[in-house]
Amino acid sequence: MRWLAALLVLLAAAAPRAELLDFSADEIARIVRHGPWPPTVAADPSNRVSGKQDAIGLGRALFFDARLSPDKAFACVSCHDPDKAWSDGRATSMGRTALPRNAPSLLDVRQRRWFGWDGGHDNLWSMSLRPILDAREIGGSTAGIADLVRTDRNLSACYARAFGREPGAVEAEALAIDAAKALAAFQETLTSPRTPFDDFRDALARGDKAEAAKLPVAAQRGVRLFVGRGNCAFCHLGPAFTNGEFHSIGIPFFVAGGADGGRHSGIRTLRESRLTLLGSWNDDPVRADGIATRHVDPQHRNFGEFRVPSLRMAARSAPYMHNGSLATLADVVRHYARFDPERLHGDGEAILKPLGLDDAEIDDLVAFLESLSAEPPPTDRRACG
Amino acid sequence: MRRALLVLAALLASGGAARAADLMPVFDAHLHYSHDAWDPVPPERAVAILRQAGLRRAMISSSDDEGTQKLYALAPDIVIPVLRPYRKRGDVSTWVRDETVLTYLAERLARHRYAAIGEFHVYGADADLPVVRRMVQMAKERNLFLHLHGDADAVERVIKQDPDARILWAHSGFDRPENVRAMLERHPKLWADLAFRTDHASGGKVDPAWRTLFMAHPTRFMLGTDTFVPERWHYVVEHASSARAWLEDLPREVAERIAYRNGEALFADAFRRD
Repeated sequence: MRWLAALLVLLAAAAPRAELLDFSADEIARIVRHGPWPPTVAADPSNRVSGKQDAIGLGRALFFDARLSPDKAFACVSCHDPDKAWSDGRATSMGRTALPRNAPSLLDVRQRRWFGWDGGHDNLWSMSLRPILDAREIGGSTAGIADLVRTDRNLSACYARAFGREPGAVEAEALAIDAAKALAAFQETLTSPRTPFDDFRDALARGDKAEAAKLPVAAQRGVRLFVGRGNCAFCHLGPAFTNGEFHSIGIPFFVAGGADGGRHSGIRTLRESRLTLLGSWNDDPVRADGIATRHVDPQHRNFGEFRVPSLRMAARSAPYMHNGSLATLADVVRHYARFDPERLHGDGEAILKPLGLDDAEIDDLVAFLESLSAEPPPTDRRACG
Repeated sequence: MRRALLVLAALLASGGAARAADLMPVFDAHLHYSHDAWDPVPPERAVAILRQAGLRRAMISSSDDEGTQKLYALAPDIVIPVLRPYRKRGDVSTWVRDETVLTYLAERLARHRYAAIGEFHVYGADADLPVVRRMVQMAKERNLFLHLHGDADAVERVIKQDPDARILWAHSGFDRPENVRAMLERHPKLWADLAFRTDHASGGKVDPAWRTLFMAHPTRFMLGTDTFVPERWHYVVEHASSARAWLEDLPREVAERIAYRNGEALFADAFRRD
């Protein structure tokens, strides 16, 4: 009996002690701004089948279907693997040829304003069509997409239910864009799960100190740095931990034969596209969401800027940055701690300075970033119908 | 058939040549070729980019100066050397208090010809520090321009040190057009480059306040890409194209002055193309 008491004492001593740092009211307010999660998101007005179950089913089926590529070699899932937070785990993706950028996670994609690392798309359906038609990636065609949807009995029936018309009665381009809208409807359902940080944040919001104390102290110190001295929340703001815009953070952006112009080339792509929110394929007759697209104009500073990614599920979507050049979260934090400020124009990104973190602080920030990930729900791979 | 093809080819070739000749020449007053650019953009490639962009002349400085000399050796018809007081990129934040910079400058000035000293970064009262003062005197002794990246206060302080100093104000100080105008009108030997700013023109249209300023002082502005990171060498061509686009919104004579005539008038004599 005595040995049991001694064992209990030992176990109690070894167990992590629940402790809550003395967060100030201002710190709590800053932390609370990163929730609640998941947020309520409305259907996409530019996509008439957004949120519709039949379209989601059709999009899911197409997402996993390699018949979109002429040789059945590539599907969307080739670079957006659900087991890798809908990314591919590679530094830069490998399509039919080596691609210059990292495959971004598709989680929480409904909440984005611009799509792709360069924001070359202002809506998810045109973004979804691009890799299918890109000869370096899936390498398909509008005719090929249309033919697949028309000839596969299951897909054809799904399409008819989702769009209220037979695919045989729709010309190829319109049918391909409808397929892209179904793909978008499916991707809109990919939401990050709740995480230990969300439980911590909600507990702080309701004043439940005991519950908040369950977040490991290292992660608490990390979140304090994140919203405080690090000022990371300046760009990684809100529940999705991103402002959705574009910045240069000193990451090199050379590619074979030149440089990746990033946002600068993205704006050019946007302007040359017929599939923007300003065009006739937008299902929203008011086209209210097209204001930013109408007014966005390339600036010299945009050359080499890339979209600020969400930090949710970051621990499961390595490697990092537009070119996957940083392998781990620790590498990312070390970059912000020690980057060369002269790679930023003094008058362009004056908000960013090396954080000068020590190793313990780097570990704390990594612990916080890891608290933004959790086990995702099982992937639904059901065929439509 | 063969003859018809030859005629067609000749027509196409002459059309292409005509288009190239129609391009507005550009004098780029703000380029850097620092040590971290030499490998990813070798000198031959950098010069090819300058020619592809249709640059008539290019003012180039680098950290250290070897980068400038590499390009000048390859393309003396385009490159106008400018001497930076930096031996490496990190000097930008320390040079104003580093007296060894003066030795470096003296050594380079004794060895090579330059049109200016710069681009250097200095703000406010730092412009009166001894290292900066001596550098201003070095420029005066050799009749060189100063390419100054800083605020209006720093410009004023340098002019106080040498009322005859000729200054190219990098980025027009990132100042508002009314303040730029006041500075230009107060200081007849001050010119301004438009590098890394886009507030003066958007979507091919010149901003009204800047238009007024360009029309009032057409001889005082120059273009510049600012290759502050080596990747931006791959932006030189596009920068020249976008500049040509917004310059079309100005009267031809004013556009030509900003595009290349001002730079030619100020610097080309020192570095003739022949």
